[in-house]
Amino acid sequence: MDNVSYQRFPTVRIREIKDDFLKFELRNTDASMANALRRVVLAEVPTIAIDLVEIEMNSSVLNDEFIAHRLGLIPLTSERAMDMKFSRDCDACDGDGKCEFCSIEFTLNVKCTSDQTLDVTSHDLVPSDQQYPVYPVGFMERAEYGGYEEDPPEQRGILIVKLRRGQELKLRAIARKGIGKDHAKWSPAATITFQYEPEIHINEALMETLTLEEKKEWVDSCPTKMFDIDANTEQVVVVDAEAYAYDDEIIKKADAMGKPGLVNIISREDSFIFTIESTGALKAADMFLNAIEILKMKLDAVRLSMETEENDDQFGELGAHMRGGL
Amino acid sequence: MASMMELGSEEDPCASTFSLVDEDHTLANSLRYILNRDPRVEFCGYSIPHPSENRVNIRIQTTGDPAKDVLKDALQDLMVMCQHIRKTFTNAVDQHKVAKRQGEVSMKSGITEPSTE
Repeated sequence: MDNVSYQRFPTVRIREIKDDFLKFELRNTDASMANALRRVVLAEVPTIAIDLVEIEMNSSVLNDEFIAHRLGLIPLTSERAMDMKFSRDCDACDGDGKCEFCSIEFTLNVKCTSDQTLDVTSHDLVPSDQQYPVYPVGFMERAEYGGYEEDPPEQRGILIVKLRRGQELKLRAIARKGIGKDHAKWSPAATITFQYEPEIHINEALMETLTLEEKKEWVDSCPTKMFDIDANTEQVVVVDAEAYAYDDEIIKKADAMGKPGLVNIISREDSFIFTIESTGALKAADMFLNAIEILKMKLDAVRLSMETEENDDQFGELGAHMRGGL
Repeated sequence: MASMMELGSEEDPCASTFSLVDEDHTLANSLRYILNRDPRVEFCGYSIPHPSENRVNIRIQTTGDPAKDVLKDALQDLMVMCQHIRKTFTNAVDQHKVAKRQGEVSMKSGITEPSTE
């Protein structure tokens, strides 16, 4: 091993950070790195979601599996997920996934006794484990509000089913750790995108040959508001370079106006603007940090498997065949 | 997680295909990128032979060094890069929070400060 290395040292600048939203710049790296991180956040950062539902009583209009599916999609607070075990490789229980290290139990018991329709929401899911509580998203904030009816819609919880008089829903749900690759319900990301940073160069000399009317026409041809005209100097200025959707509309417009080369747009292929939105299961910043950890674990796993020959056994006959009986 | 198998010949360790199970574009594409930055690498590419099989093959041909060592270095480099992004990211988050707090304080006390944004 020599000591020369070919890594780069990316830089990060945060633009905006909220619990469920994050926007930052990642510079001095390559699309493969940005894309690896995006893919890991989307499909491999673990969260907790309901995976097993035992229905005791269901006289609602929705059938059992329909309700089980809806329960699975409810985001649960998953700060614990990185420390939890996957129930398939939990040692404490033999894979039945019912121990405290790999599962969280919820109960739901609702019956409609009034003439009004009763909304069963994620707030009706009660975690049985009080030691390491995991809640449906928004469960804790609900305490700040009193009655359900007057609450703002976002505080009313996630609707599971509606019950009419006499209908009842009683069930036990087991939530487990999982990843988005296995089922999208475990994906912590509502959206995660990155874009190249566009660099916009206006050919000022050519721009000056345009009349104010023409300038206006050209500025308005952009479907996203990227340019504007300075009221004082009557010059075209870039107001929001990142609004550019790489649609080429303004370039086509310039060509159509007989002014090719009016603007030159290049994308900086080593700078990325990331936008992450969380489902609420994890904080947006934690999602990204966990993704880095997981990518490192993946790299480590490959490196370790290189040092152990016994992995060849996993390939069985195929491995022996491919190694050509070496 | 991943388990790996090397396919090559014993006479010529400079050219090998590494077959990784349970990995995909996430790892393979970033590995390919970092390997192609390495001047010791003559050729590097990857493929997923079948979309429903969780396997990716990474082909490495070097100018003389054993392909295995070059791959090991690439893994190490990527690890360092991850570590670095983690560090810069946490720093940037902290800085952003401090800047925001300072902004709020100066707004309350009426001191006009140049924006930190």
